[in-house]
Amino acid sequence: MKTLQPLKQPRPVAVETDESGEPVAVVLGGRRLAVVQVQDVWRIDDEWWREEVSRLYYHLLLEDGQVVTVYRDLLKDEWWRQSY
Amino acid sequence: MRIACILIPHFPVAVERQRDPALRGRPVVIGETADQRKAVLDCSPEAEAQGVRVGMPLRQALALCREALFLPPHPSLYRDVFESVLEALEGFSPEVEESALGRAYLNVAGLAPHYEGELDMGERMIRSLRDATGLVASAGIAEGKFVAWTAAVTSEPGQVCTVPAGKEAEFLYPLDVSLLPAAPDTLRRLELYGLHTMRDLAALTLGPLQSQFGSEGKRLWELAQGVDKEALRPRRQEEVLVESMRFSAAAVSVEALVVACRRLLVRLHWRLRGRAARCLRLRAILWGGRSWEKSVTFHEAIIDWERMLFIAKSVLANTMLPGPVEELTIELSGITEERGRQATLFAERAGMRQELGEAVRQLRARWGRPLVSQVVEVEPWSRLPERRHALIDYEP
Repeated sequence: MKTLQPLKQPRPVAVETDESGEPVAVVLGGRRLAVVQVQDVWRIDDEWWREEVSRLYYHLLLEDGQVVTVYRDLLKDEWWRQSY
Repeated sequence: MRIACILIPHFPVAVERQRDPALRGRPVVIGETADQRKAVLDCSPEAEAQGVRVGMPLRQALALCREALFLPPHPSLYRDVFESVLEALEGFSPEVEESALGRAYLNVAGLAPHYEGELDMGERMIRSLRDATGLVASAGIAEGKFVAWTAAVTSEPGQVCTVPAGKEAEFLYPLDVSLLPAAPDTLRRLELYGLHTMRDLAALTLGPLQSQFGSEGKRLWELAQGVDKEALRPRRQEEVLVESMRFSAAAVSVEALVVACRRLLVRLHWRLRGRAARCLRLRAILWGGRSWEKSVTFHEAIIDWERMLFIAKSVLANTMLPGPVEELTIELSGITEERGRQATLFAERAGMRQELGEAVRQLRARWGRPLVSQVVEVEPWSRLPERRHALIDYEP
């Protein structure tokens, strides 16, 4: 039987935040990488008709030069990494 | 331009009577067709005298003329005989128009001095046709096709009528308007208006005629005065490749005919010598001497005999042949160099897809589970990335 495997599934990630809740560092592969720049921030509230989704996305430039997209699940207060 | 019209009225009947002299003097109707559209294809003057007309349903023809002999048509035979007629006429003029079965026009401008006048030229044409086919034609020579045809149609078989230049109106005026090439309804209306002869029609001014009959009225008015601007359209000399096969026992199955087609097309392919053909004609002589034919014009010139076979096969599969086939012929015409061919835009990709499919099948057979997936769109409009696309097992 054919099965659908969704792509770009979010993965849990450890994110350090400051007092205001903004990310200051991300732990990737056991390494703590400081956030050099927040390139973009956007919020998605969707799918209230099934399982409600409320996410705050960050597009971050890390100290090693890589750019990652993470989001905070505003309903569960959890951090996730996701290719956008 | 001086034009000669050569006319063999009721050509199919004339050919049948040539084959079977016992038919002479008897009312004859030719009409059964292979595809069951039963209409009168041609009839003899004897049947015509009893009201039978070309195009009329055969049932009606039978009701009008019960003593008529009803014959199945032999289209291939009529075409062959008419081809002989045209070839004989091409001995007189290089410009011969094949107007209809039994009717041809020739450009004879400047040819009369080679004979003892136009009358002699016309007589020689008739004699030549009689020698070539045994059929008796009549001939008309005049300025323009309509006057030449009228001269031929009003002549007795074997006779020539010439209309000198400038005397067209004089020749036409006493003749009946029913000779004009107009729709039956138009001719009926002309009669209702009391216009019986060409003179009656020509005597009118153009305005009222045009207001009643439109542009057709103008053309008929001009023709009634002998003014015919229609150009002669000489037939083109084109190469036709023909191959035939005779069956030892009459073939009844489509499969046997397809096998024959294959052999004929292979032979024709060699004779094409790398060129392409635009038209294919299948001809069959059926048991009992009847004949059948079907022409196909390809969408593009074809060089590949297998593609031609595919088309011939579909023609045979979709046709109910009216009897067992004794001889099958394939003609290829419209022979041309293959200059360009419209390729399929994604032909290469299709080939790659096939190879990919085969590789995927082998992998699955080797490992017992699908190893290759493909990306499919699920909700491409979603703002949530995980909703947009998904992986699914690749099915070749």
